[in-house]
Amino acid sequence: MLTFRVFAMATSFSAYLDRALQPVHHWVWSDFDRRVRKLIAFGEVEGDGGRDILRAAELTADPLLRRLYLAHAIDELHHADLFRKRSAALLRSRRAHSSGLFNATPLPGGHGLDDLKIDGEPDHRLLAFLHVAEKAAAGRFAIYRDVVNDDPLTQAIFDKILRDEVFHMNYTYTQLARISPASYRRYVWRARASRLWKRYLRIAAALAAIVGAVMLTLQYFILVPPFAWLAKRAERREKSGWVPIPHDRVESATSQY
Amino acid sequence: MRILGISAHYHDAAAALVVDGVPIRAVQEERLSRHKNDPSFPLAAIEWCLDDAGIDPEELDAVVFYERSMLKFERILTCALRAFPRSWRAFPHAIKNSLGEKVWVRGIIASHLGVPRSKTLFTSHHAAHAAAAFFTAPTRRAAILTADGVGEWATLTVGYGERRDKGDSAINLLREIRYPHSLGMLYSTFTAYLGFAVNEDEYKVMGLAAYGRPTMVEQVRKLIRRTADGAFALSTDYFEFHTTAARSYSGKFIDLFGAPRNPFDPIDLETTEGRRFADCAASVQRVLEETLVDIARALQRETGLRDLCLGGGVALNGVANARILAESGFERVFVPPAPGDAGCALGAALYADRLYFGNPDRDVPDHPFWGPLVDARELTRAAREDGQLVEELEEGALLNRIAGELAAGRIVGWMDGASEFGPRALGHRSLLTAPHSSEMRDRLNREIKFREEFRPFAPVTTVEVADRFFEVPPGGLRLARFMSGVFPVRPEWRSALAAVTHVDGSARLQALDRDMAPRLYALLEAYGRRTGIPVLLNTSFNVAGEPIVNRALEGYSTFRRCGIDLLVAGQAVITRRASARPRPLEEEMACSESAVASGVE
Repeated sequence: MLTFRVFAMATSFSAYLDRALQPVHHWVWSDFDRRVRKLIAFGEVEGDGGRDILRAAELTADPLLRRLYLAHAIDELHHADLFRKRSAALLRSRRAHSSGLFNATPLPGGHGLDDLKIDGEPDHRLLAFLHVAEKAAAGRFAIYRDVVNDDPLTQAIFDKILRDEVFHMNYTYTQLARISPASYRRYVWRARASRLWKRYLRIAAALAAIVGAVMLTLQYFILVPPFAWLAKRAERREKSGWVPIPHDRVESATSQY
Repeated sequence: MRILGISAHYHDAAAALVVDGVPIRAVQEERLSRHKNDPSFPLAAIEWCLDDAGIDPEELDAVVFYERSMLKFERILTCALRAFPRSWRAFPHAIKNSLGEKVWVRGIIASHLGVPRSKTLFTSHHAAHAAAAFFTAPTRRAAILTADGVGEWATLTVGYGERRDKGDSAINLLREIRYPHSLGMLYSTFTAYLGFAVNEDEYKVMGLAAYGRPTMVEQVRKLIRRTADGAFALSTDYFEFHTTAARSYSGKFIDLFGAPRNPFDPIDLETTEGRRFADCAASVQRVLEETLVDIARALQRETGLRDLCLGGGVALNGVANARILAESGFERVFVPPAPGDAGCALGAALYADRLYFGNPDRDVPDHPFWGPLVDARELTRAAREDGQLVEELEEGALLNRIAGELAAGRIVGWMDGASEFGPRALGHRSLLTAPHSSEMRDRLNREIKFREEFRPFAPVTTVEVADRFFEVPPGGLRLARFMSGVFPVRPEWRSALAAVTHVDGSARLQALDRDMAPRLYALLEAYGRRTGIPVLLNTSFNVAGEPIVNRALEGYSTFRRCGIDLLVAGQAVITRRASARPRPLEEEMACSESAVASGVE
């Protein structure tokens, strides 16, 4: 019970935090490039999520769930299309602002349902996860819908998707209750815990990546220069064109070199 | 002897199982994981290969990885050093990427499969390409040309292979061109510049090229100069792929060709900008073809051989392949069904079998169908549960029925036997339809494939009548076996084959041999009897962004969500009902709730 309370506090805190961060969301969405980038990222995430749910439809043994997953996947793929088209339209409308936006930086990624493993997972786990994810997405999209009030077309897309997300949230809960009537609440709490844990892992991994990048960059400027000089000198001696492969060269079967 | 070949970590991972010198299973990881071009270690593919063949990992004699990972790491590190200090952003990324997983191949294989480390072997990347091209080709002696983006250091190799009377065989690679001088990277740079995905959308550049004129050939030649010894070298100041991870081309490249295309802007060929991009594609395509033809011609003169085996991702360029056949002096050109990195899994296993272990050469079955079988029962079960119209027909009746539906303009999802190994759908996981009208092409693009209008669709016909509809040069039927060559459609048939005739009057033909895919062959004959034209449009059974379907249920879910009219798997035929489109979720829920209430569910 205590654990449940901790999670309840954590999730309500998350929703509270989102609301408290509304000015930050305003700031993020007020910039044209960031707005387009966000929309593109949403398009990718919805598309990947749609494909994950499609995979679930192909794997489930429950005919009703198969039909629901399929319809859900089609919704998500449609959302991805809406986001993609809107970001393309924004880019076309203000081409001048988009210069350099996609040239130097890889597009934001993210794979669907938090890299949820679909193959071999029981339906109750996926439904619980989907319910929690859709609920969080609905909360977020409600905020985004409010902060893009200067852009009615984008707002309309959020509005439409928000309605779908609410429905997805409800059907996943209903179906979870149908297939696991005795323990569906527990599964939802477990999905929330798993989501929090994954969020922590993401943050930890991001921090580790930053620390790693800093360390490697320092090494690059401290240790690499003499080797770089040698490598450049060797490069100058290389001639372009064909490089003969010695006829008597024996390919080693075991060497990685 | 049981040998497992593996390719992984860069793009298009795969596994292939060779037993007693003959491939028995091969599949790309993407077909099982359902993530297009999945580069991750192909655990699912390995598991499937071993499970389906009934072999435990400890029964394997060797596991062969398709490249020398430490040598590759050396190249990555050396390039970062050479580009100092411009490589400061790329360096941490490259080091983390390599040291994180990619260099520990032996350990990864040992931990996943539980095989002793001594059983893990390596081939060089281009040796695996060469083996995949040569050992799968029905030829005794052939010149070999492999070309791709990059392996360890090599980007292009030439040599020859031979099968000797005593049963042993050899591959001798004579020389190589080294990174960063790479035809594959040149093409990929234009792929990125034109707003397409690198290592994935190169074929879009080839499709777009037909709409343009090669007006920028001279500019492209500034990027790639020919060396005195007949090779080539890239002018590296036009590129950044060897110094940064962020972009393939430099500011100088943009100065030469203009602003790159925004990936989110559609290509409108009516505009000056759209035509500029098409001209760019046509120009790089022209230079690629000329360079390959020159190298192939020199190789033919040097070796005096009549046959050429082409390997590497560049061998997916059907237009270039057709020009090599026509102009290099080789009489036959062999391109395997999976010439890219996925095919290296098979190549590495064959290389180890023939050359490391010295096993006698064995004929390799000349088809691409090494993947999982389709199970019609799972399709009929799911379709019946969903209230779809399911029929199970005798073979003759099924073929007549489908031929009639195709003649009536229906789109058919066709799943038959084992799935193809390689990027092409060659008749076992195909979408088939009538090839006669451009409206059909537009419908396919709009309702099913959701892809760019400028991309062509391919025809399939029987080898016996291919020459009637297409200008197939001597040796062309071999290239057309695995859809590896682009040939002109005969002018008198272009209007009757409008859906498969590209804007320049060409088509990427598949000429089908009866033995390779007998059911599709019979369907072509049945369709020919009805319409007088035994040609069908054959495109891969997938939608944009997804791998080709593998299992019956994947075909079924694709069928349910786009405009395919019929789905065939084995003897089962599912016909779309007007009311059988997936219902909106609300409606589906309402139905399920009423069903629950009435005790049906």
